[in-house]
Amino acid sequence: MQVEVKPETLAAPAEPVLRVENLKAYYQMNYFGVSREVRAVDDITLTIHRNEIYGIAGESSSGKSSLIKTIAGAIRPPLRVVSGSVRFDFGGRTLDVYDDPQAMKAARWRHLSYVMQGSMNVLNPVRRVKHAFHDFAFRHMGLSPSAFRARVEAHLEQIGLDPQVLEAYPHQLSGGMRQRLAIGLATVCEPEFIIADEPTTALDVLVQQDVLALIKDVQSRLGSSIIFVTHDMTVHAAIADRIGIIYAGRLVEEGPAQAMFARPQHPYTAHLIASLPRIGDTTRRQSLPGKPPNLADPPSGCRFHPRCPLAITKCETESPPLEPRGEGRVACWRAGEVAAA
Amino acid sequence: MFSILRDLLRFNVEFLVGFVLTALIFLFAAAHFFAPYPDTAIYLLPPDMPPSAEFWLGTTSRGQDVFWQMSAAIWNTMTFGLVVMILSRIIALAVGMLSGYLGGKADEVLMTINDTLIALPNIPILLLVYFVMRDQMTWPLLAVTAALLGWNYDARLIRSVTLSLRNREFTRHAVFAGMSVPQVLVRQHLPYVMPVVFFTAMNNLIWAIGLEVTLSVLGFSDVNRPTVGGMIYWANQHQAAVSGIWWWLVFPIVAVVLLFLGLFLLAISINEYIDPRSRLSRMGG
Repeated sequence: MQVEVKPETLAAPAEPVLRVENLKAYYQMNYFGVSREVRAVDDITLTIHRNEIYGIAGESSSGKSSLIKTIAGAIRPPLRVVSGSVRFDFGGRTLDVYDDPQAMKAARWRHLSYVMQGSMNVLNPVRRVKHAFHDFAFRHMGLSPSAFRARVEAHLEQIGLDPQVLEAYPHQLSGGMRQRLAIGLATVCEPEFIIADEPTTALDVLVQQDVLALIKDVQSRLGSSIIFVTHDMTVHAAIADRIGIIYAGRLVEEGPAQAMFARPQHPYTAHLIASLPRIGDTTRRQSLPGKPPNLADPPSGCRFHPRCPLAITKCETESPPLEPRGEGRVACWRAGEVAAA
Repeated sequence: MFSILRDLLRFNVEFLVGFVLTALIFLFAAAHFFAPYPDTAIYLLPPDMPPSAEFWLGTTSRGQDVFWQMSAAIWNTMTFGLVVMILSRIIALAVGMLSGYLGGKADEVLMTINDTLIALPNIPILLLVYFVMRDQMTWPLLAVTAALLGWNYDARLIRSVTLSLRNREFTRHAVFAGMSVPQVLVRQHLPYVMPVVFFTAMNNLIWAIGLEVTLSVLGFSDVNRPTVGGMIYWANQHQAAVSGIWWWLVFPIVAVVLLFLGLFLLAISINEYIDPRSRLSRMGG
């Protein structure tokens, strides 16, 4: 796919829907006398506004999925929230995910829906599709069964599916259709906030384009906010308003998509973007030396320093704070010197 | 429902044979409601008459008509089997699904009970219960005792299925969407577990009938109530095999073998209705 930086959608009033503050969530294991602590989400602070698509990027095992699970409140041991808070604001009502689990439970799917990794398999293989809609959405909508059915059918038509799929079993549908259904399920209640964890990873490029367009379309129609996780920078370029880059459980850079693609501030971001193929450019892409750090035993100081071409002595001992710079925020002692890399 | 039955009968020979056998035996058993003699009465008819136009399957040494005795006996045996099956399926489903889905401590406790019961031999326990209860031993009590012994292997099987379902995406979504534990179990997992349950149900029915026959043949049940095993018990008591009253033994044995066969064929073929994927594999899809 060609990188296509979408034009900046102009300034919706910055009304925050989600505030994550100093969130730390660790996998804590203590078996057979060996205790391990994997710091998958380490001190992350971010804000997502109404009507915004926020992309989270990072390599595998950087903590993207853990972050998003923690935000959704869908964590299971051994993943635990160590400190920090996650607050949603649904139409003036503030909900803290970890302070008020009961209210949160009621708000889920109605206000906050989730397209999980492998969401193609969200449909129970031995039940008809209509039952999935009924199970997930019926109680949240407060409609009579016939009105609910009409609503679901109208919704399916809007996302380009024949209402007849409701009578089908999942194995009778194609992967793309199931993916559409997963998105249909997540959006049928018209939630204010949608969490999408790699919703397009298992799809080929054409279907992926299709699904991205669908997500974008539904989002702009509903005016909801989406937090969107994928390691695929081209997807971010196509869909995200703002992007946050995660490295080793930390947010290292955040900013408007266009600005980030044009002028990355963090050397890691610069490498991610430089690795993308561009039409007409036949130079060999340089790979980043080294391996992603072990989150159970992360490097001292800036976690990127062992692989960073710009690393200085300070980077090895002191961890750089995430500070505003330009249109976004960046955590690097040498931010802005990236062009040299 | 009717079209499902029609398709199964048309496309599935096992189902056809099983269905016909079971239906015939069921009709035969149901006929005892129209029996000319009360089924517990003895010495009503001339004893030891071979099969004839008057007594189709002959009469017993106790002066009963083998045909009508057998009709009532199969009915009672099938009722016993069904009661055991239903009770033990309920226990197996509840234990297996809760244990698999909840995991942790609940799983440990339930599976310890389960494994303990697996390790205990059934027949000695049933005999012990019989000797303790003696005259209070009625067939419903025996059915409950058998049901309490008959669920454990299947609970483990159901648990293993639920264990894998617990980590599937649709379960995680359902939990996220706010479905409670009973809702997830009944609405999401039960349809998936049902083919397993159905197959084990048929096996369990066969096991329960076999158990009833075994206990009755040995005389460890209410022998005055006609059952298949009870008929064989009385035939043995009267030395039927030695004195050449073969019809008293052969017909009940043939009937119970046919019933086993019919139920087994139904068990292996009915999955096609319950599990849409096995339907596909038959189509070659």
